[in-house]
Amino acid sequence: MKKNKGKPPDFIIFFVALILLGIGLVMVFSSSFYTSTELRGDSYYFLKRQVFWAVLGLIGMIFLANYDYWKLKKYVKFLLLINFVLLLLVYVPGVGIEINAAKRWIGVGGLSVQPAEFTKVVLILFTAAFLSKNRIDINNFWSGVAPPLGIMGICFLLILKQPDLGTAVAIAGTVLVILFAAGMQGKHIFALAVTGLPALGYLMLSEEYRRKRFFSFLNPWEDSLDTGYHIIQSLYALGPGRLLGVGLGRSRQKFFYLPEPHSDFIFALIGEELGFVGAATVLILFFLLIWRGFKVALMAPDKFGSLLAVGLISMISLQVLINVGVVTGSIPVTGINLPFISAGGTSLFFTLCSVGILLNISKHAQY
Amino acid sequence: MGKEGISTIILKKRLIFLFFIISLCMVLLICRLAWIQVVKAEDLQREAQEQWNRSIPVTALRGTIYDRHGRVLAGSATAETVVAIPQQIFDSRETARALAPVLDMEEGELEEILTRERALVYVKRKVDEEVAQKVRELDLAGIDFAKESKRFYPNENLASHVLGFAGVDQGLAGLEVYYEDELGGRDGRIIYQSDARGMQMPQGVQQYIPSEPGHDLVLTLDETIQFIVERELNKALMEYDAKNVMAIAVNPQTGEVLSIAKKPDYDPNNYLDYPEESWHITPIFATFEPGSTFKLVTLAASIEENLYNMEEDFYCSGSMNVAGSRIRCWTSHKGGHGSIDFLDVVKGSCNPGFITMGQRLGKEDLFKYIYAFGFGARTGIDLPGEGLGILFKPEQVGPVELATTSFGQGVSVTPIQQVMAVAAMANGGDLIKPYIVKEFRDADGNLVRESEAQVVREVLSGETSQMVSHIMEKVVSEGSGLNAYIDGYRVAGKTGTAQKVGGGGYLAGKNIMSFIGFAPAEDPQVLLFVAVDEPTKGSMWASQIAAPVFRSIMVDVLNYLDVPRESLEEDEIRTVRVPDLVGSSVDEASALLQDQGLLIKMVGEGDIITRQTPKPGAVVPLQTSILVYVSEEGKEVDKDGEEVLVPDLQGKSMREAGEILSWMGLRLNSFGTGVAVRQDPEAHTTAPRDTVVKVEFKSPAE
Repeated sequence: MKKNKGKPPDFIIFFVALILLGIGLVMVFSSSFYTSTELRGDSYYFLKRQVFWAVLGLIGMIFLANYDYWKLKKYVKFLLLINFVLLLLVYVPGVGIEINAAKRWIGVGGLSVQPAEFTKVVLILFTAAFLSKNRIDINNFWSGVAPPLGIMGICFLLILKQPDLGTAVAIAGTVLVILFAAGMQGKHIFALAVTGLPALGYLMLSEEYRRKRFFSFLNPWEDSLDTGYHIIQSLYALGPGRLLGVGLGRSRQKFFYLPEPHSDFIFALIGEELGFVGAATVLILFFLLIWRGFKVALMAPDKFGSLLAVGLISMISLQVLINVGVVTGSIPVTGINLPFISAGGTSLFFTLCSVGILLNISKHAQY
Repeated sequence: MGKEGISTIILKKRLIFLFFIISLCMVLLICRLAWIQVVKAEDLQREAQEQWNRSIPVTALRGTIYDRHGRVLAGSATAETVVAIPQQIFDSRETARALAPVLDMEEGELEEILTRERALVYVKRKVDEEVAQKVRELDLAGIDFAKESKRFYPNENLASHVLGFAGVDQGLAGLEVYYEDELGGRDGRIIYQSDARGMQMPQGVQQYIPSEPGHDLVLTLDETIQFIVERELNKALMEYDAKNVMAIAVNPQTGEVLSIAKKPDYDPNNYLDYPEESWHITPIFATFEPGSTFKLVTLAASIEENLYNMEEDFYCSGSMNVAGSRIRCWTSHKGGHGSIDFLDVVKGSCNPGFITMGQRLGKEDLFKYIYAFGFGARTGIDLPGEGLGILFKPEQVGPVELATTSFGQGVSVTPIQQVMAVAAMANGGDLIKPYIVKEFRDADGNLVRESEAQVVREVLSGETSQMVSHIMEKVVSEGSGLNAYIDGYRVAGKTGTAQKVGGGGYLAGKNIMSFIGFAPAEDPQVLLFVAVDEPTKGSMWASQIAAPVFRSIMVDVLNYLDVPRESLEEDEIRTVRVPDLVGSSVDEASALLQDQGLLIKMVGEGDIITRQTPKPGAVVPLQTSILVYVSEEGKEVDKDGEEVLVPDLQGKSMREAGEILSWMGLRLNSFGTGVAVRQDPEAHTTAPRDTVVKVEFKSPAE
């Protein structure tokens, strides 16, 4: 482990993150000004919040880009403790905030934050730190694989209970990706799949409405007003967008047709206003980011850096794949943010912080 | 190995593998995106468009219907329609509760309407102004008004069958439905893009497609003639207590319909208050046996085929043997017409005479003329629901069928078919198409389309036509149509009496009395058909029932049209001597009076005439009514008894009512003018002598 303070960070990551953030701010405003005006009497309601969190996130990013990543190891246990406290706080009346029958938020002086977003980063830190220890034998299931799985499992259940299936799936996926990268054995993966998938399947499909919603992406028109509604409205945004889009700010689907046009379905709006060209450009930008992220993981000076980088970039990748998969009707509907772009303060803040950590690791890359 | 932790080589391999997997997913997503945004884009855009576009209909103003002189028969007035914008209603239950009593609707039904997921819904169409005012006063959020037009018929029942009526959105009967396309115009629309809640999108495209008002119709119908016809039909309906009375008046030269009427009728402003049968345009819809009026076809055909000589002798014994069947003349009870000539055959409407004419023509030629005159085919009049009628199929026609057809039995025709056939005889021989709409005008009054007289085919030569007219004139001036005679006009006509068919045979006592004729005979201006369906009072003779109605209408119509009267050669009114009727039966008396050109008015029950006024031998003008009292055979009016039977005075004039009551030893207390409509004590009850009978008279036009 050498200190190469003089090395520059990966500028491609930096600029792509800034461009995506910029696109996000424009699209959040475009998608929300009508509904904000109509429902909240303030056209800039979401834009103001997004700008606030972006500024906060950029400060966090710059700080972490200059804070040597291995120093984070020291705080892993402390952060894990805070994480569990926060996850439980959403159930405490007065502190927890319930919106649409979901307990995902806690209030901090006029602002609301989502503890699950914090969980994502903390679990990645913890898993990377745990697996990079020299005494760990990844080939031993109980001592090598089980501890991070267990910690992740508790978080998974707590988040699933909120309920927030999308985030729960994303953190589980991320932890599994880190385990896989760390060399988890094929037979362990198989055993986990055999025991885990039926359980997961039961959790997701046990209730009629969840089952219907799960499979509605296969034929959304069968129940166009209920379970298929989100997908159809999303397709009605993407389709008319065609190759070049209807023009920035000229979406028609944002007039209450598309649910959550500023958050989970913002990508549909990009497709409508900016067309296939715009939407594909956003995907290519993400691809650039992911490519550079993996490069950082490959070039990291130590195993911790490598695992941390792959965890952070997988987190972003999974969210992009799930979000775009949902919006294009390719996978079952799962509520999840599009990183950098969707309105959502906590998510944006921690995404930018993750980029900060990635930038720091890139500064220490060994070519 | 465990002491060094995880393997860096495996880590790097797996990182590359993961990157590969994620990249693959990205490529798949881009492909999926291209599929949606490029390949499926067209379909999705069309579907999305449907979701965004909302339209509010703008109803077109319905065209006005005018009579031939520009008098409004059906018009449109603006009416308020109550509409709701569900998105703007905060409490639909409360709104429904407030509206329910004002709009006279169910609360539940209203709530359902108010919560529909639409931009705009109709709550109640075309309400009265006072209702609209009440709703306005409620000042409810999300409740608004739209201007629409509401149909009104200023003359109420007048010409109701011709006009028909329009419902909320379209014509439903009569001309209103026949000319729906012309009258209705084209509805416009406001198309706009709305958000998912139904509000207009801020930058949404808006398109206004203006409505096109309907065309106005100018009819051939004359409001005044229609009024005259309906007044006389009302009178006849009351007097004869008939099931239906109907009339058609046309210009026989052009086919223009001057009037079509039927009683009882309905008020198109409130058409739902009347039974559906009353909406039928019976004069063009109903088919029945024409009876003697059909004899004109046999006559015209015989003349055209040079088979008729009016001076040829004929003997009528009262019946005729045709292929083993005995077919009777209506004069059979008194031994037939006896020795007459063929002019008398027509004047006296002699069945054996017409059978002979039919036999001379043969079935081929007779049916050739029947079809040529338009029977068995629709006339094509521009009204909905025209009937077709039934004729014998050529292969079914044997000697008996040929015989009955030649005097109008065993065939079934519509009144309008009869009218157009006689029109051909009147106008020089051309079968023409009747029409009721003369002109179509656009909303600015510009002529769009004009109807013209249309000759279907030439049926008779001019000479034949003239001869038929001449003979028909004789029927009126000297024969069975004497009761249709009008001083100073040359009226041509023919009576018809037919028994109604039903249940596989003729229905006893159910007759249709008709009279068809035109005037002036040499240059016909008006052709008029009158039929009285199932009269239950008075004589069962067309000459006694339909002819007087025909005459009353024709006199007023000719006066109204300023058709000049011919100066009479003997400058005096035709008079007749009243025959002695006491002791004879009603049938005998009817026959006797028909020959004299007098009318019979009966009171009492029975078949034998026991009293009459004026007295026998009195000299009275032609067509005077002879009031007779009938009773069962052998019974006299019991003048000395304490109790007398109160007679039925309905339909009698005041003079007649007074006369009848004095016979009975009763007194009259009258009020009103016109014909008797109500009396107290009621008919058929007994009352002491000198009882005062209160009778209410009413003008038949009301």
